[in-house]
Amino acid sequence: MNILSVNGITKVYRRGFRAVRVTAVEGVSFALAENRITGFVGPNGAGKTTTIKMAMGLVRPTSGGVTLMGAAAEVPASRAGVSYVSEQPYFYKHLTVGETVDFSARLIGVKQASVSAERKRVLGAVELTGREGSKVRSLSKGLQQRLNMACGLLGDPKLLIFDEPMSGLDPPSRRLFRGLFKKLGDEGRTIFFSTHVLEDIEAVCRDVVVLDGGKLRFTGSVSSLLSKGALGTEFVVPSLPDKLAEELRAEGGEVAQAPDGGGVALLIPPQKDATEYQRKLYENGVFCVSIRKRTMPLESLLYGGGGGGAGGAKEGAL
Amino acid sequence: MRVMWLVASNTFKETVRNKVLYNILLVAAVVLLLAMSFGDLSVMSRVQVMSDFGLATMSLTGLLLAVFIGVGVLGAEIADKTVYGVLCKPVDRFQFIIGKFLGLFVTLGINFILIALVFIAAITVMTTRAPQAAIFSAVFLLMVEMSVIIAAAIMWSCFTTPTLAAIFTLSFYVAGHLNDLITLSADVQTNPFLKAVLVALHYILPNLEYFNIRTQVVFGLPIADGHVMFAALYGLLYTAVLLLISSILFERKDL
Repeated sequence: MNILSVNGITKVYRRGFRAVRVTAVEGVSFALAENRITGFVGPNGAGKTTTIKMAMGLVRPTSGGVTLMGAAAEVPASRAGVSYVSEQPYFYKHLTVGETVDFSARLIGVKQASVSAERKRVLGAVELTGREGSKVRSLSKGLQQRLNMACGLLGDPKLLIFDEPMSGLDPPSRRLFRGLFKKLGDEGRTIFFSTHVLEDIEAVCRDVVVLDGGKLRFTGSVSSLLSKGALGTEFVVPSLPDKLAEELRAEGGEVAQAPDGGGVALLIPPQKDATEYQRKLYENGVFCVSIRKRTMPLESLLYGGGGGGAGGAKEGAL
Repeated sequence: MRVMWLVASNTFKETVRNKVLYNILLVAAVVLLLAMSFGDLSVMSRVQVMSDFGLATMSLTGLLLAVFIGVGVLGAEIADKTVYGVLCKPVDRFQFIIGKFLGLFVTLGINFILIALVFIAAITVMTTRAPQAAIFSAVFLLMVEMSVIIAAAIMWSCFTTPTLAAIFTLSFYVAGHLNDLITLSADVQTNPFLKAVLVALHYILPNLEYFNIRTQVVFGLPIADGHVMFAALYGLLYTAVLLLISSILFERKDL
C-alpha cells in the first residue's frame, strides 16, 4: 500500500484585490512506498510546502486529491500515525518545553500515564533533556527546531513528513537530525522530507521527488535519478602512453589530469563498454589505480552548473 | 471531547496570561470605584447609580474582552501558524473552534464573575442591604450576551484579518443593540425592497437588547415571566449558529 498518494493535485491561489490567479502546484502526482526515506527537492517557490500542506489537510487542493494512510487527507483520522515537522517551529509562546510536548502528546492520544515517559524519550532523542521547565520563547531557533522534531517523534508515527527541518541549523544539530533520520529509517518508518540541501538527499534518501515551478520533474529512486546524469566510467592510471591516449580519445574517451594530480584520468562515456577499455589498458601494460562510475552531482543534475566529469560544467539533465 | 477540552484548557492558559485582560479589568475596577462616588451626585439613589454603572461596566468589559482577546485568540493562531501544531494531528477543525470558544468563555466568565462579585459586594457594603435577585439575572444574561459576542468574534476571525474582525465584532454588538430600531424603520419604510432588507436584517442580527434588563434592575421594575429563560435559550441558539458558521468557514479555510 502506498502510505501517501498524491493524485494530480493542482492548487491555484487568488492573490490581491483583483484576485489574480497564481498556480502554486499543477497536476502533481506521486506516491510514497512504505518503509522508505524519500527526499522532496525543488528550488524556492517550487510548490513543496504547498504540496506538503495539502497532504496534511491544511490546504485544500483546487483539483485532484491526496490519500494519506488510505484515507482522504481532508479526513482528520487519516493523520493518525502521521507526524509533521514544519520548516519554522510554531509554538505557543506561553508554554514551557515540557508543556508543549505534553500538549502534543495528548492531542495524538498518548495516554496520561505514558505522557511523562514519552516526554523524556523524545526530549532525550533531540538532546533537550533538562530543558522541560524552560519557556519556549527563551529557546534559540535551533533549539526550538529540536523541540519541533521532538514533538514529531511522539507516539509511534508510521509516516514522518518534514518540511525543510534542517533549514538554518548549526552543524551539530544537522548531524543530530541526520542521525535521527537514519535511525527512524532503520526502524522501518516512512520519511518524506523536503530540503534544498541535496547533500542531505544523497546521504539519507532512497527515493526522491523533484518539483520545479509547481510541476513534477522527477519521481523515483535516487540511483535512477543519478543514472540520468551518468558521465561514464573513470579509470585512474599512473600514466598513459601518448599513442594510446590519442587512440582512446578517437574512440570517445576523455583524458585529463587526475583530480588529485596523481596520474591520468580516463573517462569512458556511459554508452561504451568499460570492460573493453580496461582490457585495452591491460594489454598495453597500463594498470589502473582506481575504477569508478562517475555521475553528475545531484545539484548539477537538478539545477545545472558545475560538477561534471572531465568535460566540466553541464546543464541539468532533467 | 478530549481534544476540545485540551484546546480549551490551552486557550484558557493563554488568555489568563494575556496582559490585555488585566488592563481591561483594571479599567473596570476604576469605573466601579467612580460609581461609588457618583451616587452622591445623582438624583437617583446610590444603589441605582451603582447598579446602573456596574451593569454597564460589565457589559462594556465583556465586549472589550470578547473583541480584543476573542479576535486575537483565533486570528493570532492563524497568523502565527501555531494552529499547524494542532490541526496536523487527527483533530477536527470544528473541535478546534469549539475548544477555542470554551477556553475563551471560561476565562472571560471567571473574570466576569470576579467583577460581579466586587460589584455586588460594593453594593452590599455601601447600602448595608442584600442585593436584589434581579441583579444576578442581569449578570447571568450579560454572560449569555458575551457568549454570543465571543462566537461572533471567532466567526469574523475565520475569514478576515484581526483588525477587521474587531471592527466587525464591535459593529455586530452595536447593530445587535439597535435591532429594535431596525424593526421600527422597517415598519415605516414604504419601499418594499428596503423594507424586505430591513426585515431580513432584523431576523439575521441578534437582538442583544433581550440580554439587557438593566432598567428593570435599576428601577426595581418587574421582569416578564420566563424572559430570562427565553433570552438564555435565544443566546444559546445564536451562539450555536455562529459557531456552526465558524466551523464551516474554518473547515474551508486554507491555512
